[in-house]
Amino acid sequence: MAGQEDPVQREIHQDWANREYIEVTTSSIKKIADFLNSFDMSCRSRLATLNEKLTALERRIEYIEARVTKGETLT
Amino acid sequence: MPLVKRSIEPRHLCHTVLPRGIKNELECVTNVSLANVIRQLSSLSKYAEDLFGELFNEAHSFSFRVNSLQERVDRLSISVTQLDPKEEELSLQDITMRKAFRSSTIQDQQLFSRQSLPIPLQETFDLCEQPPPLNILTPYRDDGKEGLKFYTNPSYFFDLWREKMLQDTEDKRKEKRKQKVRGNDRTLETEKVPRAPHDRKKEWQKLALGAELAEDNSEEALKEREANGSATYHDRSGAPMYLEGMDGPFSLAALPYSQMNELLNRPGDRMYTRPHDPPPLPPMHPLGDIKPPSMISSSSGFSDSRPQSPAQMHGFNSNTPPPPPPPLPPPPPPLPSMSSSGPRGTPPPPIPPLPVQQQTPAIPPPPAPLQIAPGVLHPAPPPVAPPLHLSSPARLQQILDKGPPPHQSDGTVLPPPPPPPLPLPGARISSPCPPGPPPVPSFLSGAVGSPASHSSGKKHSASLPPISDARSVLLEAIRKGIQLRKVEEQREQEAAKHARVGNDVATILSRRIAVEYSDSEDESEFDEGDWME
Repeated sequence: MAGQEDPVQREIHQDWANREYIEVTTSSIKKIADFLNSFDMSCRSRLATLNEKLTALERRIEYIEARVTKGETLT
Repeated sequence: MPLVKRSIEPRHLCHTVLPRGIKNELECVTNVSLANVIRQLSSLSKYAEDLFGELFNEAHSFSFRVNSLQERVDRLSISVTQLDPKEEELSLQDITMRKAFRSSTIQDQQLFSRQSLPIPLQETFDLCEQPPPLNILTPYRDDGKEGLKFYTNPSYFFDLWREKMLQDTEDKRKEKRKQKVRGNDRTLETEKVPRAPHDRKKEWQKLALGAELAEDNSEEALKEREANGSATYHDRSGAPMYLEGMDGPFSLAALPYSQMNELLNRPGDRMYTRPHDPPPLPPMHPLGDIKPPSMISSSSGFSDSRPQSPAQMHGFNSNTPPPPPPPLPPPPPPLPSMSSSGPRGTPPPPIPPLPVQQQTPAIPPPPAPLQIAPGVLHPAPPPVAPPLHLSSPARLQQILDKGPPPHQSDGTVLPPPPPPPLPLPGARISSPCPPGPPPVPSFLSGAVGSPASHSSGKKHSASLPPISDARSVLLEAIRKGIQLRKVEEQREQEAAKHARVGNDVATILSRRIAVEYSDSEDESEFDEGDWME
């Protein structure tokens, strides 16, 4: 019986070890995926804020240009 | 429901069927799971690369914008230091002579089209079943459309909207043109102030007549106060009501007109107590009052006003001789230029010279029948059918108003006249491609004879029915000749327009809004390149 148990037990132990290894790997994959998602979201929100500021700046510059530049005379 | 943008591919690590004949199943499962883990890692790396690529592209575009902004700021700072307050030119010429500032801002458009779909979603979409390959049949179609468009067309609604917008811009433009011409003929309508002195004169006259008419005085004063005070109210209610009631070329889109209509409709009968004064009459004229004109036996021509310039001109000419001569000289000179500009309308006497001149320039256009400026006329062929349909009710309305006038609103005008106008559109539409010249010479001879009868017919005499029949026949034939040219020109215009406009939502909308709200006369000369980004 002990002889039978050993190989089976060893196999089962080995199996458990493999599964734990696989589990660790997949949970790290999930963590990486989570990190990528949150990085994407935060990056997009920062870029959107930047976009807003850029647009506001552009409009102000348009206005100032309109005020300052003398138009060409229509021939 | 949230749409999954990217998914790591092998979702289940060990949900696979194990092959048979394996001794160590646990090892097998482990190995399969490890292999799937590796595949998951590869899809994760693809996901990450795609993600960073999108972020990078956005940031890159921002860097371009920031750089251009930096350059503009530098240029501005230089030009500001060069500004000299003493150099300010205050000449009025500058206002008109200088080019207007054209903003170069880009508007975001077509955000959710097929082209802007992110790549991972496009890949997901490609996994779906394709539609049937109906485009194979496209070479065999007669009308040149793609076969697949009948099964599924992603741009269907946008095309529909674009057509509608373009059509609306055209309609608004033509309304504006009509109003402009109407405004040229009757400038008094827009000026409320000059009417006031006449009102007071009237009041004084009535006071002089006697105390019995003092009531009318108070009513008229009330009406005037109403006119002045409630003008803004009429703005809101009068304009929309009027616009909704009448469509197409008939809608008096100009607010002053609708205001005037409301003003005149409110007092009702009171307006008709003073038709003796010709100048105040033209303002009342175009407002389409079909209120009980019981007092208007002599001035029936005024009550017959409807929102159509030809009919108005008829009544106009019958009652106010001074106005017709001024329009007479302008039409003959603009005629050669206007003859190529397509849309012509309904007035029967002016029309005969028009096609004649277009086809045989040697024949001098008889200026006498030309009592209406060409710009007044109705524009497009589809609206020609309703104007034709409604112009004869306009004419027949004159007949109706002469008799016992029913209390009719504009909407109920149409039911009594429909049987007579029916043969007219039918006769016109049934002839597909009538040759222009043959009908024209025949009608030329008829036109020579008819001006005399038309000029007499314009005075609202009892001989209206026979003259209107002659007019209508002439009208039809002339329109047939004119329609051919109109349709060709329209087709060319539309083709050019479609080529120009493309899918630029902002352009279309801005043009439409400009036409709707602008009062300027040079709208048709807008440089489209300025609007397109």
